[in-house]
Amino acid sequence: MAQYYDDLLTLCGFEPEEIEQERPRIEKTFERLGIGPDDMHTADQWVRQNHDVTLQGVRKLLGAWLKELIDVVLAKDEGKKIVYFGFPAITGPGLMLSASSEDVFVCAPDMVLDHTMGQIFNKLTPILEAGEANGLPPGHALCSLWQAKIGGIVKGMIPVPDLALASSYSCDMGSKADDLVTAQYGTPIAYIDGVMDSHWGEYPDYLPERVQYLGAQINQALKRAERILGIQIAPDAWERSQKYSRPFVNNLLRLLELMRADPVPVSIAELELLEALPGSSTGRGIREGIKGMEILIHELEKRVKVGIGATQKGAPRVMIEVGHTSDPRVTHLPEDVGLAVPLTFILSWVGGPAIKIEKTYATPGETMAAYELAAGPFHGTDAMIKRLEMATEVMKLDGFIKNSLYNCRVSALSSHIAKKYLEEKTGLAVLSLEIDDFDSRTHSAVSLRTKVETFADMLKARKGISDGMRKVHKEQDLAKQVGI
Amino acid sequence: MRLETAIRVRDKREGMLVAGIDVGAATAKSIILGDGEILGYAISPTGHDVKFATNKVIKEALEKAGLSTSTNTLDYVVSTGYARESIDFADKTVTEIICHAKGANFVIPSARFIIDMGGQDSKAIEVDPQGNVTNFVMNDKCAAGTGRFLEVMAQVLEVGSISEMGPIALKSKKPCHISSTCTVFAETEVVVLRAEGKHRSDLIAGVHKAVASRVAVMASSLSFKPDAVFTGGVAKNVGVKKFLEEEIGMELLVPDEPQIIGALGAALFAQTEFIKQQ
Repeated sequence: MAQYYDDLLTLCGFEPEEIEQERPRIEKTFERLGIGPDDMHTADQWVRQNHDVTLQGVRKLLGAWLKELIDVVLAKDEGKKIVYFGFPAITGPGLMLSASSEDVFVCAPDMVLDHTMGQIFNKLTPILEAGEANGLPPGHALCSLWQAKIGGIVKGMIPVPDLALASSYSCDMGSKADDLVTAQYGTPIAYIDGVMDSHWGEYPDYLPERVQYLGAQINQALKRAERILGIQIAPDAWERSQKYSRPFVNNLLRLLELMRADPVPVSIAELELLEALPGSSTGRGIREGIKGMEILIHELEKRVKVGIGATQKGAPRVMIEVGHTSDPRVTHLPEDVGLAVPLTFILSWVGGPAIKIEKTYATPGETMAAYELAAGPFHGTDAMIKRLEMATEVMKLDGFIKNSLYNCRVSALSSHIAKKYLEEKTGLAVLSLEIDDFDSRTHSAVSLRTKVETFADMLKARKGISDGMRKVHKEQDLAKQVGI
Repeated sequence: MRLETAIRVRDKREGMLVAGIDVGAATAKSIILGDGEILGYAISPTGHDVKFATNKVIKEALEKAGLSTSTNTLDYVVSTGYARESIDFADKTVTEIICHAKGANFVIPSARFIIDMGGQDSKAIEVDPQGNVTNFVMNDKCAAGTGRFLEVMAQVLEVGSISEMGPIALKSKKPCHISSTCTVFAETEVVVLRAEGKHRSDLIAGVHKAVASRVAVMASSLSFKPDAVFTGGVAKNVGVKKFLEEEIGMELLVPDEPQIIGALGAALFAQTEFIKQQ
């Protein structure tokens, strides 16, 4: 029997039989999250306003996040042992734990809450406020992702984990926030200590000692996880864990190839739905995400063929740091003022230039460590700048919008350094934008718009394009044009 | 400077008539251009009702230009400032950064670097010889380098207005050091220093040095190059000008009426657009 949420779930890519089959779980989840009939209209409008729902692939991706949300909310009720990791994290250990036992559920719940309670229901603020009231007060340069995680636990929306997997080698705030979960709920932590710093100019090389150290850290964290969770990591867990991550990366590469087209075939807000998925889900979210990507690839191939884009052909092309995880309006800003955005920094990392590890390692920990170090961003600012330089040619970029999050240890300083070096090395314009990518309460929308609009006009002037370019309206009959 | 000499009143409309309107956080500014000459301008507090403020300021400018106060008189209007998109009689919007660059280049064609300090934001802009923006920075969400900071301090130190503070600051022989980076905390710091018996002029000078330092740090990611122009309402304050010059090591040229430079830029865009349409 149809219920109040059927239309919204259909909009988010659920098939009728999926809704029927999952009805009790959906209802239990929504009840726990405080989502009721009154929220459906807002959610419907919010999704249609911010996402290109003419694309079935986009709808499926929204659905992938919703399915991950249902799974995390109900994980404890369904007898799972729950492991949370932070974002960004070394996701390999989580994938291995997940691949080793069906009774273990591993995810980054903050990202799941952002992409669902934020991007779909526009109800993230009360969760952030709960985080602020419980150990992560506002105005103290504390990460909004951690506020979402703590807030979600405090409000009883997501369960208290059985284990926190804390990796500190990129973001050292995560491990401290996990301390808070331990202090409040007694959750044990498996730490993966890391080596954050490398010498300027070292990338793409890395010292073998770093692989050994980081590898040993990962291995000991896995051992600790085995003890705490009472499981055995299967001998083939590493291989099995790659079953979904490899196709995900392959699909992402195909999508990024399509994003090289002019006009760029889809808004970057849609690819944002993919940015965090491999770093947030080890289960249904990523499996459903792969299906959504395949549909999206097919749809975008059609768009590229007929020249349909999210912005006009010839628009200046910029790379942005990252899409906004909870408020897609912010992600749309550059496109709203006539800039094409084919890539984000995070996507360039997940699906960037192929990473080859020449050496084979004896342990999964070392294999993961070598991969993470070769991937670049966690090397430090120098590696990040080199990655961005690589993308300049591949994506034919005209500029960069580099976010600076005052409450993010990873990006607060590096973005200012990146502006200077990218301008010098590429000759392209770089806009440094102070913005919280996870919480839209902390910036002035008007001020952001002014900066991005001015930057767009600057780039247009450089390309000799007159102004007046505006985004193609997504409510137009794009679907009919490409026969979807 | 071309601004003052260009102003004259016309009895009736002749040829092309365009307007620029800049609705900022603190004040709304408008300017009327007739065949490339400034016919009149007005400045008025924005207040709580943006629509009322914009209507008022455009009417005042039209009146000063000796024209009918109906906006229908105007051939083309470009709006700028934070409320640029809420002005229903505007034909086009342009950001205030671009407008300040264009306006400053018009009054001082040799301008290559502009510092604009308004009510709630401050900007540093690099421009080419045509007045096009080539690089810029703008304050983020902190009020410490803006007019609002000075306004708060003017209240605490019981000085009538921001511009009145400037000459007092220049009398100081030993400016106080205000270390707080936050407007609210700086206010507390000033109150404490006042209680310690510091001279008012030294306190005011300290406040000016603090605000100048903030803006100079923000602007330092760009290249300071002459001629540098200082625009915005705060540019009327001689104290900020002096301390800012010390910070950036360069003379700042201030147009006759620095507060209307954004509106002037908008009017120049209106003129270009109208000519293009013709």
